[in-house]
Amino acid sequence: MALGQASGTRLELDSVGKQYDSPGGTVQALADVSFAVSPGEFVCLVGPSGCGKTTLFRIVAGFEQPTTGTVRPERTTEQMNMGIVFQEYHLFPWRTVGGNIRFGMEQLDVATDKQRERTQRLVDLVGLEGFVESYPKSLSGGMKQRVALARALAVDPSLLLMDEPFSAVDAQTRRRLQENILDIHEETQKTILFVTHDIEEALKLGDRVVVMEKNPGRIAEVIDIDLPRPRSRTTPAFGDLYERVLDHID
Amino acid sequence: MSTDPKFEIDRSAESPEGELSVRRRLVTYDYRRLGLGVSGLFAFLLVWWVASLSQPAFVLPSPPAVAESFSEEMSSGEMPTALRQSLRHWIPGAVVGTTLGIGTGLALGWSRLLDDIWAPVVRLLRPVPPLALIGFAIAWFGINDTGAAFIIAIGAFWINFYATYGGVESVSTDLLDVARSLGVTGNLGLLRSVVIPAASPGILTGIRTSIGRSWMLVVAAEIFGVPGIGARIQRASNNLQVDTVIAYILLLSLTFLVIDTLFRWIQRRLLRWH
Repeated sequence: MALGQASGTRLELDSVGKQYDSPGGTVQALADVSFAVSPGEFVCLVGPSGCGKTTLFRIVAGFEQPTTGTVRPERTTEQMNMGIVFQEYHLFPWRTVGGNIRFGMEQLDVATDKQRERTQRLVDLVGLEGFVESYPKSLSGGMKQRVALARALAVDPSLLLMDEPFSAVDAQTRRRLQENILDIHEETQKTILFVTHDIEEALKLGDRVVVMEKNPGRIAEVIDIDLPRPRSRTTPAFGDLYERVLDHID
Repeated sequence: MSTDPKFEIDRSAESPEGELSVRRRLVTYDYRRLGLGVSGLFAFLLVWWVASLSQPAFVLPSPPAVAESFSEEMSSGEMPTALRQSLRHWIPGAVVGTTLGIGTGLALGWSRLLDDIWAPVVRLLRPVPPLALIGFAIAWFGINDTGAAFIIAIGAFWINFYATYGGVESVSTDLLDVARSLGVTGNLGLLRSVVIPAASPGILTGIRTSIGRSWMLVVAAEIFGVPGIGARIQRASNNLQVDTVIAYILLLSLTFLVIDTLFRWIQRRLLRWH
């Protein structure tokens, strides 16, 4: 099983809407959200808090059902087509770094030597050499998120979903993780949907940026980012894009 | 390299491993704490001894009298026999009660449906003290090993049930989401791969608590006439042999200490990650 054997798949959201019933009446969390992510594309979803981006993430990940509309592909446990990375890592604390990375492969009954080989490659990929036998409690936040990323990649998903994955780590670690995820995207050509509230992060990473507004949560604009990587926030073009996104969010 | 323990302490302090810092703490404080513990024990014995001087032996025997009684009971074989008999009630009772308690705790903690069905029954039965069931124990099993084991099992059951139930309830739904996203399906799969390991600190604490409590129940469960430590204590106190009573209490404590230490060691090994 090569790391990028299953390269990216197309993700399509068609008029996705979500309503909640609350004591004060129904709340429209999401209204008519439609966009597509091409195979191998890196799309960032950015928006203010309360715009429903986490709800949208959970719908794409299959943890919640939309009230209206459809998401394709749906997550299936048979194929494990989606690798999911959460903001708060959610590592299995009773498993070592290696044990966490192997978790999905064990469910797939991958042969033990294959598991070991693949775990080693993922450990190298995310830069955790020497920590295979460590337990999560002894790792820093940035290291935990690397483990979570390796664990998601271990089942070779065609789609990688990330929900504010770098927002719980310090700024320096975040920059390094951002570079890492770009390298990993380059190498594996996974389709990536990356949710963030950080405009700069979205503009640095995404091939496209989907900007959301709130009340109800909906798409304000989809922006193609044609700047070459690595992108510097000090260039005028970057600044212009930043202002453009900020206009929707404020 | 020096073999001075101080040197090792400093070296391990620099290591990022959390485990080593625990070991360092153990090394540093072990002698001091041991010394304090021993002096506390001596103070206790001294107070006891002084108090016993002014009392007749059937009210409070002196420490040497108890020690003598202990060694007499040991050499006559009566104490080893009583210990063996009690363990024959305690081990099956504790094992059965713990197993059923953990099993029921997992089922009710995990399944909303089962919980809704059984919650009223649980609330109704929970306050019944195990000893109130001695009548049932006699009626159902007779005045024998099984009857005593039954009482102990009831006690162990509830402690393990609540510890496991609480442990399962506190398992993070996010971890379950992660497991689902990594291909775990079905209740059994989730229980095995996430719920049980995540709840294991709570479950193990429950087991450890129940070991102690059910060992105390042994004495009470034997009072209705099943031979063992409890019955021996009962007989000795009827004869006003208070030194013998205390000797057997000492046996209870020592046995508990051994079992508890053993289990704590197992618990620590299992929860290295915690």
